[in-house]
Amino acid sequence: MTSLKILSVAFFWCISLLHTPVFAQEAEKATLRLDLTYQRQENGQLPMLKTSTKTKAGKRFEPVHDVEINLFFNEETSKGFLGRIKSSDKGTAFLTIPDDFTYELDTSAVLKFIATVTNNEKFEDVSSEIEITKAQIELTLNEEDSIRTMKAKVLVFEEGGWKPAPETEIKFVVKRLLSDLNAGEEELYTTDEFGEASSEFTLHIPGDAEGNIFIAAKIDDNDVYGSISSSKEVKWGTPLQKDNSFAKRTLFATRDKTPLWLLIFPNLIIITVWSFIFYLIYQIILLRRIGKAHKNV
Amino acid sequence: MSTLSQVSIDKITADLLPKKFGKPGIIWTTVLVMLSIGGLIGYYRQLQNGLGVTGMRDYASWGIYISNFVFFVAISLVGSLITAIFRLTNVSWRTPLTRISEIIAVSAIMFAGLIIIVDMGRPERFTNLFLLGRLQSPIIWDVIVITTYLTLSILFLYFPLLPDLQIMIKHSKAGSINQKIYKFFGSFWKGTAEQFRLSENAIKIISIMIIPVALAIHTVTSWLFATTYRPGWDSTNFGAYFVSGAFLVGAGGVAVAMYVFRKAYNLQEYITEKHFNYMGKIVVMLAFLYLYFNINEYLVPAFKMKKAEEHHLMGLFTGEFSYLFWSAILVGMIIPIAVLLFPSGRKPLPMFVMGIFVVVGAWFKRFLIVTPTLLSPFLPISNSPESYAHYNPTWEEWSITVGTLAGALLIITMFVRLFPIIPIHETIEEHAKAHKL
Repeated sequence: MTSLKILSVAFFWCISLLHTPVFAQEAEKATLRLDLTYQRQENGQLPMLKTSTKTKAGKRFEPVHDVEINLFFNEETSKGFLGRIKSSDKGTAFLTIPDDFTYELDTSAVLKFIATVTNNEKFEDVSSEIEITKAQIELTLNEEDSIRTMKAKVLVFEEGGWKPAPETEIKFVVKRLLSDLNAGEEELYTTDEFGEASSEFTLHIPGDAEGNIFIAAKIDDNDVYGSISSSKEVKWGTPLQKDNSFAKRTLFATRDKTPLWLLIFPNLIIITVWSFIFYLIYQIILLRRIGKAHKNV
Repeated sequence: MSTLSQVSIDKITADLLPKKFGKPGIIWTTVLVMLSIGGLIGYYRQLQNGLGVTGMRDYASWGIYISNFVFFVAISLVGSLITAIFRLTNVSWRTPLTRISEIIAVSAIMFAGLIIIVDMGRPERFTNLFLLGRLQSPIIWDVIVITTYLTLSILFLYFPLLPDLQIMIKHSKAGSINQKIYKFFGSFWKGTAEQFRLSENAIKIISIMIIPVALAIHTVTSWLFATTYRPGWDSTNFGAYFVSGAFLVGAGGVAVAMYVFRKAYNLQEYITEKHFNYMGKIVVMLAFLYLYFNINEYLVPAFKMKKAEEHHLMGLFTGEFSYLFWSAILVGMIIPIAVLLFPSGRKPLPMFVMGIFVVVGAWFKRFLIVTPTLLSPFLPISNSPESYAHYNPTWEEWSITVGTLAGALLIITMFVRLFPIIPIHETIEEHAKAHKL
């Protein structure tokens, strides 16, 4: 009887839960902003898709993490399904397009990508799509009479072949550890009727031990071509002399690397002073001996 | 000695032998013991809960512990001034003051070492200073020089004590604990010519050696500050500035001790007004010297008033620390100079009061050297609460600091209870010499 009572209470409690605001929220899902961009680092490499998820908090957008995003190629079907990714703390997620799609990517002139968020507990369903015209950059680096020139040719895939892409904004950069450094005299260059743009390289910057640096020509966030780049390694940097001072005898080194002068002179002083102190202690021993001898006399 | 009558010798010996504590002595010792216990309780709390119980935070990582350490190092310098410099320059009136200054030096330097351990977050790693120390660090130079100075000071206290120990053994109750202590330290002293020769030779060596070591101890302590790039510390004058201040506080300390021992043990015949007069003149000279260095240290930066140093300097001149700063200058230097310049100011009582002024002023001056600089970094420390930019010592810090000061005084007190504070043998010798002339 008692167990029946408990069961009835539990049942009614569950029913009442359905009417609590927690469940009521299902009807009031927030709006999610979903952005999709296309990136390709090098010619011939498989491109990458980047998603960005944000939601409005007050007057500004804040990144949303742990949102699952489905990515599709050309059509939102199982055939075009590229994969599912989850947004990071920064609200971003990346997917390298799988090898299975290499043939489609090679043969298509226009690439269509779709990103969707569906059946999310907190956010309404949302989708975003982009259409990318396939393009690539040919980078040439030349040095003649000590003049270094960077030349980029932007080509677009049209009618089964690569054609020059005029009026396209491009920039030349040196790839550094944390971000890119502008390598041209201008920040942006526009390609001419042959799809070409060039700039002189005048920077004096450190490279690796042999002076190698990576120079790239980039198209950033272009509505038609996405973000694409092409880079080359070249010996235009200053060879880097490694700072080995931590391995040397310095004032800031560890105790086993004390500078010799600091090891020799203070120790000489310490040894000299303490020799006298030990001599003085020895004098006390002598005084004791004299005292004992005097007693015996 | 033979030219002096046995009656005179007996009188000197009786006058200078250590005496049992009277009521004031017992009260004084009890208060010191209580304060020392208070310090131990504070330190127990600190051991239990770490340095978090102190008021030290990201900004003021050196507070009153290090100020106290610098004070102890400073006052210890008096041992070399009175005993070594006066001995080498044949200052005839030094005899009654030598042991006073040496015991001040020994007790102060012992507590300087202890307070460094107190300031450590992990005191059990103290031995690492010796085992794993980097010679590149001025802190290690300080550890080495403090150890050396302590050893030399103990030897400097011990050698001249040997002839007195023989007298003490004779005049103490047979089989008493006191006599056992005297015998332990000096039963071998028979007063032979060879023993005197060796002892005199040793004292001469220590007198010469202790002067550079004493100068080094305070110069190196100043380098703990001057080798860093901070407002108020970035000075090439710091060594001389610290040494001059140390001589002043040491001389002030001796003046106070002279008065107290003279009064407590009726030593008016031995510590005369002449001694106060001479010590007064020395204190004035040292106060002028220290004032000169203070003018250099503060006036020149104030004249330039570099933007980065403005916060520190204005904090001292008109800001948070101004009352303390001007009081320390006034009490620690100006007033003693004004009083002691006149012969009537160099009488025992005004000398005693001025000595206290100098010592108290010196303690706060050390605090003003250490902490305000840390509260005015060139670059503000990011993400630290506003309260970290101020330093308020906690009761644990105060009790430990007061406990160490009481501890140092307790060592002096116990020493005076056991050993003659004025060298008996040397005094008899001096009287004999004067009698002969």
